[in-house]
Amino acid sequence: MNPTLAATISERVQRIKTMPAIPAVFLPLLKMLSREEVQVDEVVRLVSYDSAIAAQCLRVASSPLFGMAQPPKSIKGAVMSLGLRRVETILLTCCLGQAFPSKKWALDPIVFWRHSLGCAMVCRKISEKLASADREKAYTAGLMHDIGFMVNCLVFSKEFAPVMERACREGVPLHEVEQDILGFTHSDTGRALAEKWDLADDIIEVISHHHDVENSQKAQPLVALVHLSDLLCRMRGMGYGYYERSKVDLIADPAWVILQQEYHDLEGMDLARFTFELDEAVEEIHTLVSMVFGPAPATSES
Amino acid sequence: MTITLQPVMVRPSPNPGGDVIDPVYRLIRDLVYKVSGIYKAEEKLYLLADGCGRRMKLVGVRTLRDYWERLTAQPQRDAELRELLNEITTGETCLFRSQPQLDALRKVILPELVAQKARQITRRLRIWSAGCSTGEESYTLAMSLLEESAGLLKGWIIEILATDLNDHSVETAKAGVYGDYALRNTTDYFKRKYFTMVDQKKLQVRPEVRKLVTCTRLNLQDDNKMLFMKGMDLIFCCNVLIYFDAASKSKVIDRFFSNLNFGGYFFLGTSESLMKLNDQFHLIHFPGTIGYWKPSLDSGKL
Repeated sequence: MNPTLAATISERVQRIKTMPAIPAVFLPLLKMLSREEVQVDEVVRLVSYDSAIAAQCLRVASSPLFGMAQPPKSIKGAVMSLGLRRVETILLTCCLGQAFPSKKWALDPIVFWRHSLGCAMVCRKISEKLASADREKAYTAGLMHDIGFMVNCLVFSKEFAPVMERACREGVPLHEVEQDILGFTHSDTGRALAEKWDLADDIIEVISHHHDVENSQKAQPLVALVHLSDLLCRMRGMGYGYYERSKVDLIADPAWVILQQEYHDLEGMDLARFTFELDEAVEEIHTLVSMVFGPAPATSES
Repeated sequence: MTITLQPVMVRPSPNPGGDVIDPVYRLIRDLVYKVSGIYKAEEKLYLLADGCGRRMKLVGVRTLRDYWERLTAQPQRDAELRELLNEITTGETCLFRSQPQLDALRKVILPELVAQKARQITRRLRIWSAGCSTGEESYTLAMSLLEESAGLLKGWIIEILATDLNDHSVETAKAGVYGDYALRNTTDYFKRKYFTMVDQKKLQVRPEVRKLVTCTRLNLQDDNKMLFMKGMDLIFCCNVLIYFDAASKSKVIDRFFSNLNFGGYFFLGTSESLMKLNDQFHLIHFPGTIGYWKPSLDSGKL
């Protein structure tokens, strides 16, 4: 990418701070997530600032995706039974949705959230098969991987509309059309926002390189995991809402090799069965997205 | 902290009756997957439950636990599993059964095969519907390819071989006459274009479609005859292998692999998979469906 483009991205991303609707707890929460040691009381206090978010979190906690049969009665109760890390990912799910209310969406936001939450879920489900993987970290990485898409909608809305239109019409992957028309992709704009928000290094790496895993310098297995989950989502009805005329050979993907080197238990995974199991979870994603963002529209993806 | 909870959205129940699914059904689901590669997803478990219910009535077993015994204990184990598989797979045959498979064929695979074979003198596409039953799948493929005959497949010769073990099925397939049930997924467009009226309730596939399809009897376990089925670009074998034991299944799959051209594709039924029976095929994800690929010679992935 040339320096002028990089400067443009940086300049426009700076404008995002004027967005009025970011929940006050959002940025402190992101900071907290990047730390190793987190205090229960600190999280509880933070969430209690915003009763709307707190209420939503408690509802979302009862989704099958997060594993509570009954909604917890308080944030503290949720922390006790779900564990702090899980509660953080729930909080993040709720906050991120509210961070970008905009009339400028190039895509039905519900479709976008299905993709992001879907990817978060697939990341976690794959991690569950790998004994030594950090599941909540994987979830967060999946949830955040496409924040650049929202940046594009917000501060490049005029330039981004024809990109989306052509991707849909030709059924080709979005990042290829972005590169072709704009000269940069949502990975670049996402990185700019992630750096501005001072996100954890491994999350920044995921946002920057989930379409070119080989070029990632740090946290390569996590980047590979998100790359593969993103592909799976796009092939199983949780993409950008259009038919991608492409095929995916996961096992031949360089990202698969990277992941396999890190986690030897990946080899025993029955990928076909895993795919069928994912289809069951798609329903959960739809429910969760309607819970957080309103009713779901029909999709014409497959 | 006190928070007023709003009504919690409840995830749609997997079984229409609203009862909790007996965990034994999940055991049966896993057993069915292990012997047949067929996976009944959570929301389709009621189909499995219905099938078990009918079998239990027929053999006079009162509780699901007792039926589980029957499915797992000798001497009747194998016979009962076979009967159960019959129960849960019958009635699924119709024209245009799997739209994602047909989309993958037309939007992804055909352009790839046409490009791959462009240099060959004879532009010919050979497709095999193995275990074609009464011909629904074969004619669906024929019609889908005819739709491309003015464009992508202009000047191409299309050969579809439809084989089945059952003489009666082969005769029915040759006639190409179908009623409402088999035509339930067929759009008016296709009905008008490719069918003629036989009587009030039945339509027959037009001669120009039938002439693309050759129906013959073939036993997939007959090694000598299997040797003659060479040079296929695509093989479809839906809900057939489930009736084979692991050893013969693996042998038939190896035959399919050698019968395919390099770069050719192999498809199973929508909820079926090869599990780990063959490690030469690559599992490929297309939007909404999976298939298996025999890597092309120049792909470097052999």
